[in-house]
Amino acid sequence: MIELTQCRRKLGPQVEFFCEEFKVGPGAQLALWGPSGCGKSTMLNLATGLLRPDEGIVRVNGTEIQSLNEGQMDRFRGQNFGFVFQTFNLLKPFTALQNVLLGMQFSDTREPDEWKPRATALLERVGLGHRLHSKPNTMSVGEQQRVAIARALANKQQVVVADEPTGSLDPKTAASVMDLLIEMCTEEEVTMLMVTHDKSIADSLPQRFDCTGLVQEVSS
Amino acid sequence: MSLWHIAWNYLWNRWFTTTMTILSVALAVGLISSILTIRNETRKRFEEEQLAYDIVVGPQGSPLQLVLNAIYYMDNPTGYMSYSDYLRIKEEEDVAHAFPVGLGDTYNSFRIVGTEKDIFDYPWSSDTQLDSSGEYKKRYPFQIKEGRFFEQSMEAVIGVRVAEETGLTIGSEFSGTHGIADLGDHAEEMYTVVGILKPSGTSNDRAIFVDLVSVWELHATHDEELEEGHSHDHGHDHAHDHETKEIHKEDQKITAVLVDLESSSYRFTFMETILDDYKCTPAVPIIQVTRLYDKILGPVVAVLKAVGYVVVIISALSIMIGLYLSIIQRKRDMAIMRALGASAYEIFGAVIIEAFLVTLIGILSGWVLGKLVAILLGIYVSQTYGLTIYGLTTSIDELKFFAVVAFVGLFAGIIPAWEAYQADIAEDLQAS
Repeated sequence: MIELTQCRRKLGPQVEFFCEEFKVGPGAQLALWGPSGCGKSTMLNLATGLLRPDEGIVRVNGTEIQSLNEGQMDRFRGQNFGFVFQTFNLLKPFTALQNVLLGMQFSDTREPDEWKPRATALLERVGLGHRLHSKPNTMSVGEQQRVAIARALANKQQVVVADEPTGSLDPKTAASVMDLLIEMCTEEEVTMLMVTHDKSIADSLPQRFDCTGLVQEVSS
Repeated sequence: MSLWHIAWNYLWNRWFTTTMTILSVALAVGLISSILTIRNETRKRFEEEQLAYDIVVGPQGSPLQLVLNAIYYMDNPTGYMSYSDYLRIKEEEDVAHAFPVGLGDTYNSFRIVGTEKDIFDYPWSSDTQLDSSGEYKKRYPFQIKEGRFFEQSMEAVIGVRVAEETGLTIGSEFSGTHGIADLGDHAEEMYTVVGILKPSGTSNDRAIFVDLVSVWELHATHDEELEEGHSHDHGHDHAHDHETKEIHKEDQKITAVLVDLESSSYRFTFMETILDDYKCTPAVPIIQVTRLYDKILGPVVAVLKAVGYVVVIISALSIMIGLYLSIIQRKRDMAIMRALGASAYEIFGAVIIEAFLVTLIGILSGWVLGKLVAILLGIYVSQTYGLTIYGLTTSIDELKFFAVVAFVGLFAGIIPAWEAYQADIAEDLQAS
């Protein structure tokens, strides 16, 4: 369960984000939808602890994360969230397998002897069993996003957040990546929060939250 | 995958910059390492040779020149003193052993050292350094490799380098050249090689030892020729029979006396005796060599070390700049790692490890480079001055220097690591 209550965050001298209330339950698949600049990504960053609210409460699975210190926040984030980004954000010096392993190493939610079998199984599941030892710069954009999906699901996290996951893909690849993401989140029984400005993608998910109006101009 | 593995992968990912940075560290370390090795080794060798004698007595003149000439066979003699003074010095109460030396001639630029054969039996002994059995360290720089020691006039025992470089062997004959420069030779008077010394790592390796009487006989002939108005053209058929000349030892000249006292603590009273009772200069080798180091070699070494330290600082800056630029380029990677659960401390640690790895590899490469340079310089010094330099030795000074470089390298990593530590994850993840 993720809840934002009365969350306020200053974004500029006369711009702020404010969310009265937002809730998403376990296992949900929800699109944070809205036009560019409406506050979708800020909402996602606040929900995952990448940003802290100036006011208000962010509660994730019962923990008020805005009160965690930096180290606790890092650990909490690694253990509870998996990320899929628009530009994949794979670490270039590492192979596909190592990228997935890194996620498990930092979050420390699984025993070390589980890491490699789990990472290999996930990469095979996303159709990259033959690319375990390939580096990102030798892979297509679709393959890179599949590695990112495998990495996001590698831990025992309960939420996968995806920020415009198909924004850099051609329509055919985007469709297959979307299908894979939804399938895998369903299989792993994790909550999915997806930021998108594309209404058709937002409509393809069971739930949708319209972020329009979350970012407002304020008088100084 | 450990932080070490992560750091290594990032270094490998920008291998060219990493290699250049390592090279700059290696050059700095190599420079200093070779300087320290050569300095320590030459000093050690000089000190080992000082073990031999407590005092060198010579004609009035520069004590340093006296020591360099009488012990290391370098430079010109300071002049001449009488052999009768040597006989008196030998009988002084505090003297354990004394040996006369007469230098002047050379063969193929190797010094011909006139002395007495007792010197061959005399081991060099330390007053301070103990060996494994608890005895004072002794060295035997006059050990025969082939043949025997000289027994009579015009017989020569040669150092191993002399044999190697001139091709002289047992039975070979040669004539000396008057002085260091070519001031005429004694072509009609030939020395015969009767012995070759074992390598000792001392200046003995580059010297030719003959009976002092030979030197006197040759110079008596030379002086006669000059007195008779003969030129130095030795191509004429003027025959000399050195055995017919009578040599009165007490009337002869030598260039120095090497003195071993009953105890090193008698040095200063013995020096007073020499100054009061003889028209001679006493010199304590260890003091003269220390002065030589401090006054001449000291500043040279200091300048070279300063250059080395400047290179170390430049290397540290290149580590810092290289890492800093890399961190700026990798901000997104750092943010991804933070999003994956890495703490800011882990990111800080990974960057520090990168700096440490570059420094460590630089130090190791520099050590190898320094040893290589020291070995090559050692060969040159050995061939030129007869001092054996063990290039592979690593002194405490070097280890301390390596520790300083490691610390500087780590320190250079702090600013980039701090930059990484302070990264704004949300902003860096958004950056494209």
